[in-house]
Amino acid sequence: METAVSTRGLVKVYDGEVRALDGIDLDVEEGIAFALLGPNGAGKTTLMRILTTQLRPTSGDAYVFGLDVARDGGKIRRLISYVPQEMSVWTDISGYENLLVYAKIFGIPSHERKKIIDDALANMGLDKVANNMVRTYSGGMVRRLETACALLIKPKIMFLDEPTIGLDPSAKKVVWEKLTSFKKEYGVTIFFNTHYMDEADMYSDEIAIIDMGRIVKVGTAEELKHSLGGEVVLFSLEEGKVRDETIQKLRKSKTVSDVIFNNSELSVLVENAELALPHLIDVLRSESVNPAKISITKPTLDDVFLKYAGTRLETGGRIGEVRHVRRMIRRG
Amino acid sequence: MRDALRNMFVMIELELRRLRHDRSELYFRAAQPILWIVVFGPVMGSVRGIPTGGIPYTDFITPGVLIQSTTFLCVFYGLMMVWERDSGILKKLLVTPASRYATVIGRSMASGVRAIFQGLIIVPVALLMGVRFVPNPVCFAAAFLVIFFASGGFAAISILVASFMKTRERFMGIGQAIIMPLFFASNALYPVEMMPEALRVFSAVNPLSYVVDATRGLMITGNLSNLLLDVVAIAVFDTVMFIVASVSFRKIIE
Repeated sequence: METAVSTRGLVKVYDGEVRALDGIDLDVEEGIAFALLGPNGAGKTTLMRILTTQLRPTSGDAYVFGLDVARDGGKIRRLISYVPQEMSVWTDISGYENLLVYAKIFGIPSHERKKIIDDALANMGLDKVANNMVRTYSGGMVRRLETACALLIKPKIMFLDEPTIGLDPSAKKVVWEKLTSFKKEYGVTIFFNTHYMDEADMYSDEIAIIDMGRIVKVGTAEELKHSLGGEVVLFSLEEGKVRDETIQKLRKSKTVSDVIFNNSELSVLVENAELALPHLIDVLRSESVNPAKISITKPTLDDVFLKYAGTRLETGGRIGEVRHVRRMIRRG
Repeated sequence: MRDALRNMFVMIELELRRLRHDRSELYFRAAQPILWIVVFGPVMGSVRGIPTGGIPYTDFITPGVLIQSTTFLCVFYGLMMVWERDSGILKKLLVTPASRYATVIGRSMASGVRAIFQGLIIVPVALLMGVRFVPNPVCFAAAFLVIFFASGGFAAISILVASFMKTRERFMGIGQAIIMPLFFASNALYPVEMMPEALRVFSAVNPLSYVVDATRGLMITGNLSNLLLDVVAIAVFDTVMFIVASVSFRKIIE
């Protein structure tokens, strides 16, 4: 297997002060769907913009199919497609015309152009609205048009920045069905940024968790969840806080693999919750901690994120997402 | 170079397609130059205080006003391209195989398409006002060719200026701030000979003066003695602006 993306010690500092990337080491195999999962501001977009040769790294190296992003930008751009997070089509011309303009920019020969564009439109289920103005499209249709555009050149790797941001669940599903079938058919590598756990969980073959400009953990969704042990016991605490000694005491129990306290919730990672629970309750009682609610779940990627980055993924994302979706609407 | 040309033609095609769907911007923008020709020209002309070399004053200012309006259009076109930074369009264009130079030059030159259509809206009004054009279609076409090529340079100016601006709001005043000095310190409304010494020096390096001089010669006076100089000046202006704008373009991306 060839390595599609590889970075070593990648650092990006904006304006000499903002350290967006803080030493990224990453290897992505060819032909897989790779998710870069992290909250807004973690450095996902910066990393993608370096890999797509828009920005130069401050230090470190990055390679796409063995080509150096700093020196072989032109060659890399012939191999890749990119869909930015923001809307990237012209709204005052039709969907077909958008693809025609991009096909010409990509240098697709004129005798193949019409067929390629029609195929891409049909693939994305846009053939019926191809001649409508893009400004009449819904958010999901715009995203599909952008994806169609990324498929025009049959890339070796597609970079998708938050491919389903602001889409409703059914539109999300359609976009991913198309992407997945395209991956199967052509063996294209998909590198995508997301802050939706379920998206990373369902559609990726491998996940890298990024936080504050660092990769904190890499693995398949199963591996990541498995790394937490079998089950999570979640105590919602009335007091809203818990003493460090209590956490230490819980950690010492032999059934417990880790304890994380976040936002008045105490997550205890154990192998088997039913066996561990009586002991956990004893410890909490003896420390006079009163759980208001106890729930037992299988670990989710959110728990994985909590363990390795120290915060929940969702809380970081919400405000930024609302702001972003608003911005998209205003522009649309 | 081939990339740059291809990019330019694609961007020109994009503009044509946009114009086919919606030309209202051009009609609204035509209001100002038409006022100059319909109101300012006849009123100032009746004073007979400006030595125009024997041609009616309205005829004299028509090329100047035409160029002012196309220049305005191009400067805003360049700014608009920078706004695309906020949407994903510019990002996506940067990830196409074409080089950055090709992107900058291609998009700048595409502003010339709008400029030509803008000119074609203004000319009939001038005709109605009794402006006598040189009755030679070749000269007329040449004048529009000059406008087309000069447009790219003006669009590039605004890319350069915009690269120093970080917010959209600040752009708004910039268009005026670029155009008005160029317009008033040029030969658009009065011969350069009437100006104070300092302005005359500025006018000599003002690209707008050369564009106006070339189009005035081709469309109104038929005096082509300066045409070669004008064309060379415009070519130099374009080249310099394209280079400087391409270099400053990096700032816009980051």
